[in-house]
Amino acid sequence: MKKILNDPYRYVDEMLAGLTAAHPQYYVLVGDDRRVVARADGPVDGKVGLVSGGGSGHLPIFTGYIGPGLLDACAIGDVFASPSVDQVADAMRAADGGAGVLSVYGNYGGDVMNFDMAAEMLEFEDIDTATVLLRDDVASAAPEEAERRRGVAGMVYAFKIAGAAADTRADLAEVTRLAQKAADACRSVGAALTPCVVPQAGVPTFEIGDDEMEMGMGIHGEPGMWRGALRTADEIANEMVDRLLDDKPVEAGAPVSPLVNSLGATPPEELYILYRVVANRLEEAGAEIVMPLVGRYATSMEMTGVSLTFCHLDEELAPLLQAPAACAFWRV
Amino acid sequence: MTTQLTAETLSRAIGRLAPHLESVAAELNQADARIGDGDLGITMTKGARELRAVAGELPDDLGAALMTCARAFTKGGGSSYGTLLATGLMTAAKACRGKSTVDWTAVSGLLDAAVVAMADRGGASLGDKTVLDTIDATARALVDLDDPAAMTEAALAATEDTLDRFRDRPNRVGRARMFAEKSIGLHDPGMLAFREILCGLR
Repeated sequence: MKKILNDPYRYVDEMLAGLTAAHPQYYVLVGDDRRVVARADGPVDGKVGLVSGGGSGHLPIFTGYIGPGLLDACAIGDVFASPSVDQVADAMRAADGGAGVLSVYGNYGGDVMNFDMAAEMLEFEDIDTATVLLRDDVASAAPEEAERRRGVAGMVYAFKIAGAAADTRADLAEVTRLAQKAADACRSVGAALTPCVVPQAGVPTFEIGDDEMEMGMGIHGEPGMWRGALRTADEIANEMVDRLLDDKPVEAGAPVSPLVNSLGATPPEELYILYRVVANRLEEAGAEIVMPLVGRYATSMEMTGVSLTFCHLDEELAPLLQAPAACAFWRV
Repeated sequence: MTTQLTAETLSRAIGRLAPHLESVAAELNQADARIGDGDLGITMTKGARELRAVAGELPDDLGAALMTCARAFTKGGGSSYGTLLATGLMTAAKACRGKSTVDWTAVSGLLDAAVVAMADRGGASLGDKTVLDTIDATARALVDLDDPAAMTEAALAATEDTLDRFRDRPNRVGRARMFAEKSIGLHDPGMLAFREILCGLR
């Protein structure tokens, strides 16, 4: 597989340099080792600061979602590798507008350890912190072990809803409550057709046959539920909808926002083919479809594949999802 | 003369500790390579360099000084042993926050609290043949001691004893777990690094 790069060890630094050069109205690089991106017009005085972060390779996640109504800062590690404790602490400092800092990120061991340690450092500087973890990937653990599930595209909803809540100048406890409610409202499942290449490794993350797919694969190539012959778009969409609704059913008339997401290489055309089925199925289930999202929102480098997320809304979360927000990748 | 633990004590201890850790880096790398990834000496050298860099400017508040030391082991990141040491130091930092002196007799309790926090963060338990077993034995050995030189000797004796007790047991956590059988008869590298920290404090 081919990649466009210079030195694989400079991949992330060169990517961040380009990202901030292209969109200076949204992003600025801060921190000792230039691995923290902060809001260009931040920190916002009196607003709860929202921080996220993790490994590179998932744009627009994480850095992309910095902007008004969204995140205030992110710490970015190498591709699929955690940022360091110091980088996370720098991101928290950059986000702090005096009302405390909420970290919203995916449930991955290395990230949890480093964010927890950074929060301990911030405590020492008298900055209040709180944490909300995304655990939306239904394929990563059974419902009985839901606390072990990994975070995937559901992060987009948590960022958006937490960002809107922070914009109302709600305090740290209230923004945390709403972000947690958004995280709890999301269910996702992914399917991969081809692997991706981590620049520093130089080889595909896994092997898969030309005629095969894997249902339930994680966004770093973590093993899924089954691997078998590639199915049709409608079969894939139906299985994904079944898996999400089995895990969290829709109540009649309840608002649901669906996200049909490309893992990188899958084109929008194929996402829309899938969306027809998703929309029909949600309507059959009695859901009211709110703000459907179709596109590249949370990726795994050049992986071919899709993920489907349902965010189960209510009268409190729906307006926050639809409140104005802007970043280089998304505008609401 | 009665002395107490202060930022000044820490600063002078770093002056002895850092060169010692650098001098045993190759040995620690070798011990680690037998059952791990062979970078423990590098981790300790990096930590020692960072400690040297901050030793001259430690804040008077003992908590803040310990937090500065903790950060020496998180900079550059990546190593789980460095993260664990930083966790233990941060726990002590929180307990000492706002104090410029702490009685030597409090050190045993600080080590106990560090063991709890490190076990929680690293997912290991006492008895798993990790650095936790040596720190716990040291905490036991230091109860009621208040002379720093005698404390270092007691800590070393307890650590040597723990190394010997565990040598013929298998490692139960971390990367070494995958070589559990191979680890029988070998000292745990993390325990060895803790012994070298104590030697460096002499």
